[in-house]
Amino acid sequence: MKGNNLAVALVVLAVVFLLLAGLYYEGVLQIFVSDPHAKHHTTHAILFGVLAIASLIGANFARAKRAA
Amino acid sequence: MSLAQALFMGLLQGATELFPVSSLGHAVLIPSLLHWSFKQSDPSFVPFLVLLHLGTAGALFFVYRTQWVEIIKSFFTAALRGRIEKPSERLAMLLLVGTIPAGILGVFLEHQLKSLFASPFAAAIFLIVNGLLMLGFETLRRRAEARVAPTARSRVEQEESFAAAEQISFKAAALVGACQALALLPGISRSGVTIGGGLLSGLRHQEAARFSFLLATPIIAAAGVLEIPQLLSSSVPLAEYVAAAVLAGLAAYLSARFLLRYFRSGRLDPYGWYCAAAGVISLALLTFRP
Repeated sequence: MKGNNLAVALVVLAVVFLLLAGLYYEGVLQIFVSDPHAKHHTTHAILFGVLAIASLIGANFARAKRAA
Repeated sequence: MSLAQALFMGLLQGATELFPVSSLGHAVLIPSLLHWSFKQSDPSFVPFLVLLHLGTAGALFFVYRTQWVEIIKSFFTAALRGRIEKPSERLAMLLLVGTIPAGILGVFLEHQLKSLFASPFAAAIFLIVNGLLMLGFETLRRRAEARVAPTARSRVEQEESFAAAEQISFKAAALVGACQALALLPGISRSGVTIGGGLLSGLRHQEAARFSFLLATPIIAAAGVLEIPQLLSSSVPLAEYVAAAVLAGLAAYLSARFLLRYFRSGRLDPYGWYCAAAGVISLALLTFRP
């Protein structure tokens, strides 16, 4: 059960990261950016995209551990 | 920037990126000490740095080309399976875990830190700090060696008592990765702090260097690739810059080959003493120059 809860939490986290990636790419979020006037914050968007993928990998590990 | 200056900067960046002596520190200090007029903070300088970093990353990929193919394959296999079964899969996941903190800290703090500390004086002071860190890492390592391998008869035998990169813990990989962010301070060496972190985590010197170089490659390459649109949109002397990048790549390749051989039995001490001395001399020159 513990592994399952962790997997769900990591999937939720991945969704949040994807949302943040989208907001940074669209220039809606301006927190900790070098140029607040830039249309897109590609670096921040890529970072949150990578974090989303890492969270999904973590979720898959948690799920597989529980299945084993 | 003249062609000679561009080539010199390429050579300097390529060589100092992998040696534990801080490429950023040298790139800030040396032009200032030589009274070169170009400014690192100038927007036109960014495309130049981008190409130099791509040259260095290319050299690192070339040095570890077979390992990278294995790491990338292992990454996807382990990620889809949800379980680690081979050392190469563990290494791939360790690199992911190590890259994340460096990426977060780099993206959020790079601009603030670089604008705060991008002065030759700060670079000289941090170079001294870097030297002390290298010497501190080795002092702690010698204590660990006395504990782990008290009867070792040679340096090589002593080193064999320590671990390979694949055996490092995930927590240690994250800490070593986070240490990379310290390299945003000009004068603090990325390879120095990550090799030091690896040593504290119980890696052999050569393995700590391998882990450091593998960990640096995606970050350096990503930083370069992300700036390519700016490079293509600006009117820069591309031929000169590419020549400097090729030189940076060649210097990085030779540096990596040398360091991997050196760290079979060598230590960080000489680089620690060099950084401390270079920092003190630079500080004196900057203070008393006419």
